[in-house]
Amino acid sequence: MAQFLLMSKENYKKFQARPSCRTGNEGWDGFEREGHNMDFFKNIGVLITNEKYMGMLLEGLGKTLLISVFAAVLGLLLGTLVAMVGLSEGKFSKIPKAICKVYVTVIRGTPMALQLFIMAYAIFAIRGFPKEITAILAFGINSGAYVSESIRGGILSVDIGQTEAGRALGLGRGTTMRKIVIPQAIKNVIPAIGNELIALIKETSIVSMIGMYDLTQAAKVIGAGNNMASYIVPMSVAACFYLAIVYLLTFVIKKIETRLRASDKR
Amino acid sequence: MISANNIYKDFGKLHVLTGVSCEIRDGEKVAIIGPSGSGKSTFLRCLNLLEEPTSGEIWLGDKLITGVDAYLHPDIIRQSRTYAAMTENGVSDKEAVEKIISDRLLKKREGKNFKSSVKEFEKANRTDINLARREMGMVFQHFNLFNNMTVMQNLTLAPVQLGLKTKAEAEQAALALLRRIGLEDKANVYPATLSGGQKQRIAIVRSLAMNPKVMLFDEPTSALDPEMVGEVLDLIKELADDGMTMVIVTHEMGFAREVADRVIFMSDGVITEEGTPAELFDSPKNPRTQQFLKCVL
Repeated sequence: MAQFLLMSKENYKKFQARPSCRTGNEGWDGFEREGHNMDFFKNIGVLITNEKYMGMLLEGLGKTLLISVFAAVLGLLLGTLVAMVGLSEGKFSKIPKAICKVYVTVIRGTPMALQLFIMAYAIFAIRGFPKEITAILAFGINSGAYVSESIRGGILSVDIGQTEAGRALGLGRGTTMRKIVIPQAIKNVIPAIGNELIALIKETSIVSMIGMYDLTQAAKVIGAGNNMASYIVPMSVAACFYLAIVYLLTFVIKKIETRLRASDKR
Repeated sequence: MISANNIYKDFGKLHVLTGVSCEIRDGEKVAIIGPSGSGKSTFLRCLNLLEEPTSGEIWLGDKLITGVDAYLHPDIIRQSRTYAAMTENGVSDKEAVEKIISDRLLKKREGKNFKSSVKEFEKANRTDINLARREMGMVFQHFNLFNNMTVMQNLTLAPVQLGLKTKAEAEQAALALLRRIGLEDKANVYPATLSGGQKQRIAIVRSLAMNPKVMLFDEPTSALDPEMVGEVLDLIKELADDGMTMVIVTHEMGFAREVADRVIFMSDGVITEEGTPAELFDSPKNPRTQQFLKCVL
């Protein structure tokens, strides 16, 4: 065990001097508090087996996932819409195009936390308004701006010759987009969208700033003085949760990408 | 078949075409040659409106496929106050209309009065460019096969999507076309696995699958390795022998001479000289043509 590296000198002396691992210094929950005997891995075991703490973490995890999933869906829809408007041509698209441009500029140009505050304390500052919806809207709108740029880039990265060939055969603009350009653009867009979804999941941790109880906030509460009185253990467990979600998502994205790229090889 | 009247095309400040007029008759094979940057590809792309001409008209058969400028149309002009004033002063109908068209008086003086009738007029006179393009096959320098589809899907996409053939019919026709070029064994592969020559031959039969009346070739062999040029030119020659109307922008002078009924030499956005291959290649009259041919032959 290398936990003595994390200890102060005095603690280390105690650590060396003690007769056995058990010192009788555990608190009511079996958790060994700082200043006594710090056994990091053992304490993780204690946290995981403690029903109350685990319940708190899982509740937070649920909220994190709820916000992430709905915000991702909203972001993808909004992003696709904005990208389509941005790429459209014709005289009637001027005003919608300008609106989309302003949207992307403002959202990408201001901090996420600030956008969340504005949503929570200005736009939806209504007593009893569910904070989940506030958060989903804030993150979905934020995500949409980034997604729209990824999609736009993906569509523009498809050789213009592909469009020209489609149009030259007599296919309409929409059919050409649907059958030729978008299938090729998706392949180019998937990595960027994956990146955005990963960033989104992790970024939801700032909802604690408007008083929501997500995974990060749960870890913070568990670590506070009237519970474990140590942050490192709950924070580490929460980090593992985030890591697991992101790892799973990365795996799924890779799988999708490999399947879409099948036509490039053969 | 196709006629282009006074085509101008600007890209911003760059004037690429400055008044090109040309008529392509049924069954005729026209080769367009000229130095790079002379506007020959742009002109070809204007013919099926992949580039929209800044001004000028393109007729496909008896259909005007470039938009109609309503402000220059006699029916609209006759409703105008300018016209009324002119005829009252004793100017004849024909002269008044011509004067208004040539000086573009209507848009300048009374643009606002006619907005609604102009809109109506344009709506009634709009030709569906997608319909016109079905009759014009186009072959590109870089083949532009659809990378996300197999060869078979490349050939059947347009006929099936446009409702011209059922899937089974289209596949049968596609197989026949592939057999003709000896590539039926490639029906189910993706374009990424094909050689340049194979890609270009498939691109050609992809256009043929729409049964076009005219084929436009935009430097079909320029992106090919030298040993593959022959197979593509042979296929084009075969089409020519079958009587297909075609316009070919090319740098292959020998091929132009052999296949074309008429050769057009373009430079600096205009047609400098045109004539039969023998006239143009053996006794060019224009110094610009002479200079160009001296360099390439």
